Amino acid sequence: MAGSAAVTARVTRRFSASAERVFDAWLDPAKAGTFLFATATGQMVRVEIDARVGGKFVFVDRRDGEDVPHTGEYLEINRPRRLVFSLAVEKYSQDIDRVAIDIVPLASGCELTLTHEMRPDWVEHRDRIQAGWGEILEGLAQTLG
Amino acid sequence: MQSALDHTLTALADPTRRAILQRLSSGEARVTDLAQPFAMSLNAVSKHIRMLERARLVQRRRMGREHFLSFNPKPLDEAAAWIETQRALWTARLDTLEALLQAEDRAAAAARKQGSNRRKR
Repeated sequence: MAGSAAVTARVTRRFSASAERVFDAWLDPAKAGTFLFATATGQMVRVEIDARVGGKFVFVDRRDGEDVPHTGEYLEINRPRRLVFSLAVEKYSQDIDRVAIDIVPLASGCELTLTHEMRPDWVEHRDRIQAGWGEILEGLAQTLG
Repeated sequence: MQSALDHTLTALADPTRRAILQRLSSGEARVTDLAQPFAMSLNAVSKHIRMLERARLVQRRRMGREHFLSFNPKPLDEAAAWIETQRALWTARLDTLEALLQAEDRAAAAARKQGSNRRKR
């Protein structure tokens, strides 16, 4: 199927807290910085969250004196049911992954399913976008020059 | 520059390439024999095979003028390892989130209890 990821990691977990509280933790810099890309031995030195569709995020974890930025963009924000964002960790990989969080409220608490897809077609797409911008800028330079 | 895993995933993301791998998983095949069942030119099939070779999923050996292709599962093991690593990472992160929220609940309950104790006096 065109555009589908060949490799997906999926995790499901129940929480005693409500769907709203679990959802909000992902977009709250104070909370997200504690659980999202933090490591036991590292230090989360920077968290910026622009919580809107198209908004970007940056988490910088300092590990052994080296800063490791985790960056991405929010693609879907449907509180408290669904959150989708792209994710890149340039220090480790050229991939742009896609993470989707689906939350189902239960009688008590909620259940969260996290789907982490490697998106090779996104890497190709990114190259096509960059090529497209190159053409536009060249055309513009010729018009103005 | 794409990582090795990128090449594997790009190679797997096409039904023709997956069908080629399926055929090769039951044994070696000549390029010409491999191309035969597909409704496309030998050139088109060769392009697919080159992508699979780039991902190291397919290996080629020459026997005189003949080229034999075989399936190499090692890159798939790497993909499986990635999945396991990600699952372990996310499980740990969600555990931390649950602990965080439960600590909040306990703090809120303690605050409420303190408040009600004060009112009772």
